[in-house]
Amino acid sequence: MTAVLSAFAQLVLLLALAPLISGFIRKFKARFQTRRGPGLLQPYRDLFKLFRKGMVIPETSSWIFSATPWVVFGTSVAAGLLVPMVSTAPLGLFGGVLAVVYVLALGRFFLALAGLDTGSSFGGLGSSREMTISALAEPAMMLAVFTVAIGASSTSLSEIVRTAAGQSWRFLAPPQVLAFAAMFIVLIAETGRIPVDNPATHLELTMIHEAMILEYSGPYLALIEWGASVKQLALMSLLINVFWPFGLQPEWSGAGVLAGLGWLLVKLLLLSCAIVLVETTNAKMRLFRVPELLAVGFTLSALGLVSTFLL
Amino acid sequence: MPLLDNPQFGEKIVTLMAALVLVLQIAMVAQRWIITNIRIFAAQSLLLAAIAGMVAHFNGAAHIYAAAVLTLVVKTVLVPILLERLVERIDIRREIEPILNVPLSILISGGLTLIAYIVAESFHRPEQAGGAANLGHNALAVAISLFLIGFFMMINRRKALTQVLALLSLENGLFLAAISLTYGMPLIVELGVLFDVLVAVMVLGILVYRIRESFESMDVSRLRRLRG
Repeated sequence: MTAVLSAFAQLVLLLALAPLISGFIRKFKARFQTRRGPGLLQPYRDLFKLFRKGMVIPETSSWIFSATPWVVFGTSVAAGLLVPMVSTAPLGLFGGVLAVVYVLALGRFFLALAGLDTGSSFGGLGSSREMTISALAEPAMMLAVFTVAIGASSTSLSEIVRTAAGQSWRFLAPPQVLAFAAMFIVLIAETGRIPVDNPATHLELTMIHEAMILEYSGPYLALIEWGASVKQLALMSLLINVFWPFGLQPEWSGAGVLAGLGWLLVKLLLLSCAIVLVETTNAKMRLFRVPELLAVGFTLSALGLVSTFLL
Repeated sequence: MPLLDNPQFGEKIVTLMAALVLVLQIAMVAQRWIITNIRIFAAQSLLLAAIAGMVAHFNGAAHIYAAAVLTLVVKTVLVPILLERLVERIDIRREIEPILNVPLSILISGGLTLIAYIVAESFHRPEQAGGAANLGHNALAVAISLFLIGFFMMINRRKALTQVLALLSLENGLFLAAISLTYGMPLIVELGVLFDVLVAVMVLGILVYRIRESFESMDVSRLRRLRG
């Protein structure tokens, strides 16, 4: 029974919190650039607005176009449920960290297909770029994940987090630091943040994620946007809870959940501030420079992995 | 402050800072802008001074404090200012042009770090170590990799100024090795080394300026023309 309840609680948390985090990053970034920026609740308003609108579906598109929003949303939520947020992962039984990586990859695969499906040249361009970047980001992410998995001798996220919480100061060990730096680079690439992709642009030369979803409108667009912010929240939770497991509750219980939630929010805010700092101080990279950034990520995670054996 | 007197905590912090120094070194290989490179070097030196400060604290060695302060003054403030002024004077805004492309250079740096770790492993004697003496084990591996990557950067870059930067980061590796192995050389040696660095930067600065004046470029591969 607790398993069902915990899954439900985390589902609600994911869906409710994800737009808020996107909104916070947007707002804080605006303040950081001395703009006023939209309110914190703007992403909720946008979603609400989009859900009430009609849709335009291109005549040339096939079933993939209609299926993709559901797949993207579903995979993001599933990945979110596989990650421990305030306590153990509710769906931890179904897979560990590898499942998170590849469930998200499934969503991305469908998104790329949908970009190609409409036959517009921008969609194809976006898909090809997205696939290039994800092919480069995946090895870095896998090696970083293996670095932490070796420490816990398990790929189950709940197990990794429990081991990490058991050892004080472990997050300061060099393999952890290197893997954290690599995962941060991967996070930026995967969530389409500034040095790699600009979430706010519709300029044809630079957009990646936006190019793939250019043909979407109305509720489908809302599903994709919501899915993207859930994915961002899931990846951020993965990063903070694996590397900074403070305040994570060992069991799902009434009071513990509140404490865990408080810690989660504090850590998410810290990570968001780091993301905002990176977004504000960097210009968007040329596409041909992105492999260099991801090569740095790959090298860092490879070093992290090797140093677990050598130290 | 009981935490600050716990050698285990000290070891973690020193190891962490050493790892960050390594991350900065790899960032320096990846970074194309000369100004950013100089600033990364300054940050790296700041971390080194902090490591020296920690080592001094845990070993109760006053003269290492002096080395830490000197590093702070010379390498984080003086040398970067000198270099930035030089960059301004010869008016280069252009990017560093490495001989090998950047992703490959980064992978090579990763490989060099591996070699450094393997080499450092043979110096490790866990049975003899204990308490404060254990501070330096990881730092030695990082020091050797700074050294190797510094060499690699010197080979890999064409412009004289960027080679100076590579030399400086190589020297950072030497400093880290000295701190982590011996818990500080005698102060007179430290003074000599730091003075050496300062003079080297000044002399190389003049040299770079001269090369630029005579060849209209800092590309050292053009120096071939001097052959008779």
